[in-house]
Amino acid sequence: MIYVLYIIVLTICVYTARHYWFTLNRLFGFQRHPYIDIDTADWPPVTVLVAAHNEELVVSHILEALLAAKYPADKMLIVPVNDRSTDRTREIIDDFVQRFPRRIRPFHRTEGKPGKAAALKDAMEFVETEVILIFDADYIPGAGIIRQLTAPFFDPEVGGVMGRVVPMNVGANLLTRLLDLERSGGYQVDQQARMNLRLVPQHGGTVAGVRRSALREIGGWNEKSLTEDTDLTYRLLLHGWKTVYQNRSECYEEVPETWPVRIRQIMRWAKGHNQAMATYAFGLLFGENRATLRERIDGALLLGVYAMGPITLLGWILALTVFYQGIAQFNGIIALLSLTAYAAIGNLAAFFEIAAAVRLDGHRKRIAILPFLALGFTVSIFSVSNAALSQISGLFTKAEFHWDKTERFRKATS
Amino acid sequence: MSPFLSVAVLLLVTGVLFTVPLLPAIRELQRKSDALPLDVIQQHAGEIRYFADRFRTYLEPLEPILREASVTGQQASGVMSDGTEYLVLGSGTEAQALPLGEEDKLCPVLVASVSDLTVSANSTFSRDIYSRGHFVGESNNQYRALLSERGLHLGKGSSVMRWVHAGDELQVENACKLFGRASSDTGIRLSPDCSFVRLNAPRIQFGNAAEMSRSLPQPAALLATSKRQLYDEDFEIKSGETFEGDLVVRGNLRIGSGAQVFGSVKSGKDLIVESQAMIDGSLISAKKLQIGPQCTVRGPIISERSLVIDGGAQCGAADAPTTVSATRISIAPGVMVFGTVWAREQGEVLA
Repeated sequence: MIYVLYIIVLTICVYTARHYWFTLNRLFGFQRHPYIDIDTADWPPVTVLVAAHNEELVVSHILEALLAAKYPADKMLIVPVNDRSTDRTREIIDDFVQRFPRRIRPFHRTEGKPGKAAALKDAMEFVETEVILIFDADYIPGAGIIRQLTAPFFDPEVGGVMGRVVPMNVGANLLTRLLDLERSGGYQVDQQARMNLRLVPQHGGTVAGVRRSALREIGGWNEKSLTEDTDLTYRLLLHGWKTVYQNRSECYEEVPETWPVRIRQIMRWAKGHNQAMATYAFGLLFGENRATLRERIDGALLLGVYAMGPITLLGWILALTVFYQGIAQFNGIIALLSLTAYAAIGNLAAFFEIAAAVRLDGHRKRIAILPFLALGFTVSIFSVSNAALSQISGLFTKAEFHWDKTERFRKATS
Repeated sequence: MSPFLSVAVLLLVTGVLFTVPLLPAIRELQRKSDALPLDVIQQHAGEIRYFADRFRTYLEPLEPILREASVTGQQASGVMSDGTEYLVLGSGTEAQALPLGEEDKLCPVLVASVSDLTVSANSTFSRDIYSRGHFVGESNNQYRALLSERGLHLGKGSSVMRWVHAGDELQVENACKLFGRASSDTGIRLSPDCSFVRLNAPRIQFGNAAEMSRSLPQPAALLATSKRQLYDEDFEIKSGETFEGDLVVRGNLRIGSGAQVFGSVKSGKDLIVESQAMIDGSLISAKKLQIGPQCTVRGPIISERSLVIDGGAQCGAADAPTTVSATRISIAPGVMVFGTVWAREQGEVLA
C-alpha cells in the first residue's frame, strides 16, 4: 500500500514540476509566435464550419461576426453545421443564407449519430478547401481571426491550429469568474508554454483549424470520441503533423453559469480525455510514430491530466489509511509529509500558474478571487473521479458513451 | 485549559485562517471591480495603417481650417480638444514659419500642411506631422509620426519614432531609422544602412532593386492539396533539381542553386537556399534562414531566428503579395519584396 502511495506522490510531483516549468517559461522564456506576423499573403480558400445543435440563442451572433471577418469574401465559405436542432436554429441559419447566398452554405443534419464529431464528419462533403476552420456556435470571433488561424497552414508541417478562448460572461457569478481564471491559466500559460517549448499544444475543436489533407491522412473525424479535439491532437501528432497554438488569436466564448452544467461539461471532457489516453498513450510512448521524445513525454502527461483527479483522491485515502493503521510508522510519516507537501506545493503550482496568467493578461483585481479556486478544484476532482468510475463501470456494463450538449445562457436578441 | 475550550479555540483559529484569504475574494465578488471580459479581441489586428487612419480621424475637427488654409494660403494655429497645439500651413513655403527652437530646432506642435511641405535639416518634431501634398524632410531629422497623402521623402540619417505612412511612394535615404510601422499605398524604397521594424507596401525595394519583378512559373497555388514528404534528418535538394510537393525536414535543409520547388518547405533547423533557386510556396525555418542571390520565393518567408536575403532576390509577386518575418532580418541591396517585411527585433538594409 505504501509503495502505491509513493508512486502517486511521485506522479503528482511530476505534474507539479510541469506546472512550474510552464509558468516560469511563460514569465521568463523565449515566446514563440512564428505565424502571427503573416498579415499579407495570397490567402487560400477556407471553409469555416460552425457546429450548432439547438443554438437559437447564439447562432446569429457568430454568423454576423464571421461575415464581418477581414478575409477575402470570395475565398471564405461559412458552413453552419446544424446538427439535428429542434429549436429555431434552422430558421435563423436559412434567413442568413437568403441574405448571403454566396457566403453561407448550410448543412442541415436531420439524422445520424449524435455528437459534434459525427456532425463534422458528415459535413466534410461540403468541404472543398485545404484549410478548414471550426467554431462552436456560442463563440464570437474577432475580425482578424480567420487570417490568424489560416496563417500557420503556410507551414507544411502544421496539421492543426488552436486559438485562445476568452470567456465573455465573466461577471455572471462566482463560477464564471473561476472559469475565467482557469481559462487564463490554461491558455495564457499552459498552451503557450507548450508552444514555446515545442511540446504538444492541444487542439480545442473550436477557435481552431485543421488541414484537410492531414485530416484525410489520419482517417478523418473520430465519431466514437467524446472529445474529438483531443483525439485529433494525438492522431495528428502520431502522423508527424504539428498542432500549433496562437495565443493572440483570441475569441470570446460563453462559459457555464451553473454548477450542474459545469459538472456535466467537465465530466464529458474527462471521459473523452481518458478515452484518448486509453487509445493513444501506450502507442505514443512506446510505438513507432513521428513524435519527438519531448512530444511523447508531454503528450503522455497531457493525456493523464484528467486521470489525476481519481489518483489524487486515492492518494488521500491511502495516506490516511497508512497513517491510522500504523503501517510502518516511519514510512507513514514520510507518506503523510509527502502528501502534505504535494497538497501544498501541488496546489500552489496551479495557483501560481493562474496568477501568472492573470498578470500576463495585464489584470490585477480579479486575482482576488484566486482562493475560491480551491472550491473549483474540489468540484473538478470529484467530477472527473466520478467520470472515471462511470467509465470503468461502463466497461463491464457495456454502456455507450453519452454526449451532453453544454447549455447556453445568453439572452435571446430580437 | 479545558478540552472543550481547546477544541473551540482550535476550530476558531482554523476558521479564521480559512476565512482571511477569502475576505478580499468576497469583497471582489460583491464589487465586481474587475469582472469584465478580457479586452483582447483585436478588431484591427495586423492592420498596419491603423495609426494613420486614426490620425486622419483625429484631424477631422481641423477640416474647416484646413479647407480655408488651402483657399487663402494662410497659416493658422490653435489648440486641439485634448490640449495639443497645432499649426496649419497654407503653403509649403511657410515651412520656414515652423516654430523651431533656436538651439535644439525642436518643433513642439502638431503640423498640418495642405500643400507640399519641406522641413529643414537637423530638426526634431515632437508632435505628429500631416501633409496633403508631398513631404520632404531634409537630413538628420527626428520625427514622432508622419502622414503624407502624397509622396514622402526622408533625408539621410533621419529617424521616425512611431509610424510613417505615405499615400504615394515612401523614399528613405541612407542610414535612416524606422522604429515603428512604415507603409505606403504604392511603394517603399529603402536605402542601404537603414534599419526598420515593420514595412508594408505593394512593392518594397531595398537599395537599387530592379523595378521589374520576375514572374513566377505558374499561377498562385499556395496551400493547394499536395503530397507532403517528411524527413527526420538533414536533407538536400541538389542544384538544378525540381522537387514537387510540400517538404518538411526536421534537420538542416539546403536547396541547391537553380533548384525549383513546387510546394512549401519547412526546416526544423537551418535552411539555406542557394542562388537562383525558385520556391513556388512558403519557406519556413525554425532557426536560421539564408536566401541566396537571385532567388524567387512566392509564399510567406518565416524564420524563428535570423533571416538573411541576398541581392536580387524576390519575395512574393505583384499578383501574390506575401510576408517576410523573422526575429532579425538583414537584407542586401537589390532585393524586392511585395507585401510585408516584419522584423521582431530589428531589420537592416546592408550597406
